[in-house]
Amino acid sequence: MNLLHKIAASAGLLTLALGSVQAQNKELVVGSSATYRPFAYENPAKEIVGYDVDIIKAVAQKAGLQIKVVNTPWTGIFAALNNGDVDLVISGVTINDKRKQSYDFTMPYFEARQLIAVQKDSTAKSLKDLAGKKIGVVTGSTGDDTASREFGKTNPDIRRFESTPVVISELVNSGVDAAIGDNGVIAFRVQEHKQLKTVNDPSFPKEYFGIVVKQGNKALLDKLNAGLSAIKADGSYAQIYKKWFLAEAPVLPVQ
Amino acid sequence: MEQVLWFGWFRADIIAEYAVLFWRGLQMTMLVTLICIVQGTALGLAIGMARLAEARHAPAKQLCKFALRWPSTVYVSFFRGTPLFVQILLIHFAVLPLFINPADGLLISGETARNLKQNYGAFLSGVIALTLNAGAYISEIFRAGIQSIDRGQVEASRSLGLSFPRTMFHVVLPQAFRRMLPPLGNNAISLLKDSSLISAIGLAELAYAARTVAGAYSRYWEPYLTISLMYWVLTLGLAYVVKNLEARYGRGDTR
Repeated sequence: MNLLHKIAASAGLLTLALGSVQAQNKELVVGSSATYRPFAYENPAKEIVGYDVDIIKAVAQKAGLQIKVVNTPWTGIFAALNNGDVDLVISGVTINDKRKQSYDFTMPYFEARQLIAVQKDSTAKSLKDLAGKKIGVVTGSTGDDTASREFGKTNPDIRRFESTPVVISELVNSGVDAAIGDNGVIAFRVQEHKQLKTVNDPSFPKEYFGIVVKQGNKALLDKLNAGLSAIKADGSYAQIYKKWFLAEAPVLPVQ
Repeated sequence: MEQVLWFGWFRADIIAEYAVLFWRGLQMTMLVTLICIVQGTALGLAIGMARLAEARHAPAKQLCKFALRWPSTVYVSFFRGTPLFVQILLIHFAVLPLFINPADGLLISGETARNLKQNYGAFLSGVIALTLNAGAYISEIFRAGIQSIDRGQVEASRSLGLSFPRTMFHVVLPQAFRRMLPPLGNNAISLLKDSSLISAIGLAELAYAARTVAGAYSRYWEPYLTISLMYWVLTLGLAYVVKNLEARYGRGDTR
């Protein structure tokens, strides 16, 4: 195809696009905290990659949305959504009632549970065994909530950090006795460090990750949900899941 | 807890809920600042003197140059030439684990190291980093202060038979101190504010308290406005102390 053809073709496409879905031409900014391997992290080429990124790209393609993923620190990620710095957030965000009061979530795209990481010689078997021990969590994460509910939110034994890698470094250096976080991330980090092991507390409930939009942004929410349904239906969801977690994708609830 | 709104928008209840964290944070910020001002000043004096060390005859001449002037110059250049934030992370995650480590710490290991790291790890790293950094800046204040005293003062004092140390402590430093007070005061205020950076390694000071609340509620006005006010009051207090000191010790110059 020569250049003229290309221009003509793209001009044709453009007119079509303009006619039907004008609003979608705006590039949407996706916020994701790239310290959350394997969900989102920066590769050596400075690109943000991971399970979350693959999911949002597949969803955007199905929904006909233009997106750009921007690395946004976790602690400011909801503020960025409120300010309009980002249009949506996909960053391993657990759907919970408190967050639902302020934001809208899509249907789940990942099933998660909290997981505890400790040094190999630790005898802890459950969250209760961590009473009186120092616990590292990411500020405002579900792990933070879990520890705060059990031991009190102003308990000085709960040590809050900016990101999971920092929490794990503290654990490796014996700055804390245990770390609590989402299973996908904790499991990944623990297999990187030989001196650590995971502790599975069966009392932790099942949780789901959802894509977050500003409250009331129903137009975008509907498109994202449609996209999610589409990738679940055509098998690309299962493929992405397998690529990152080397396991079959679980069946997720629709709401 | 019941929602409490001040002026229609300020959620006072979330601050009240975490009041203990803010209170302990305030104490921690003050403690760290105080320790670092004292240690930083002592270190600054030592380094400042080392940078000015001079002798006329070998081998003291070479000794002054290679064992005092050069190392102190490199030291000052490094700590002024790299970000404090980077220094804090470097010391906490790399330098300190080398020396204090349950497995193979060069200085302290075993159970003692674990207890030390868990109870005072972030405090220790933060205080060390801030002291080293402040020492570099304060040494420049001392150097400038000492150099600003007319050479004739030293010559007069030496010809009256006072030894070099006595000349320093009875003649030069008292005069230099007056001129150094304003920059030292500025430095103390920066120190107070810079202590907020230690929150990154999980030290529960003021900024950490604010981050915890922001993370739990995704609300930013309340926690950060609260600590801004607290920092402001602290810096005002510090400025007041410095002003009084200046009034007291500055008298000699304004006869």
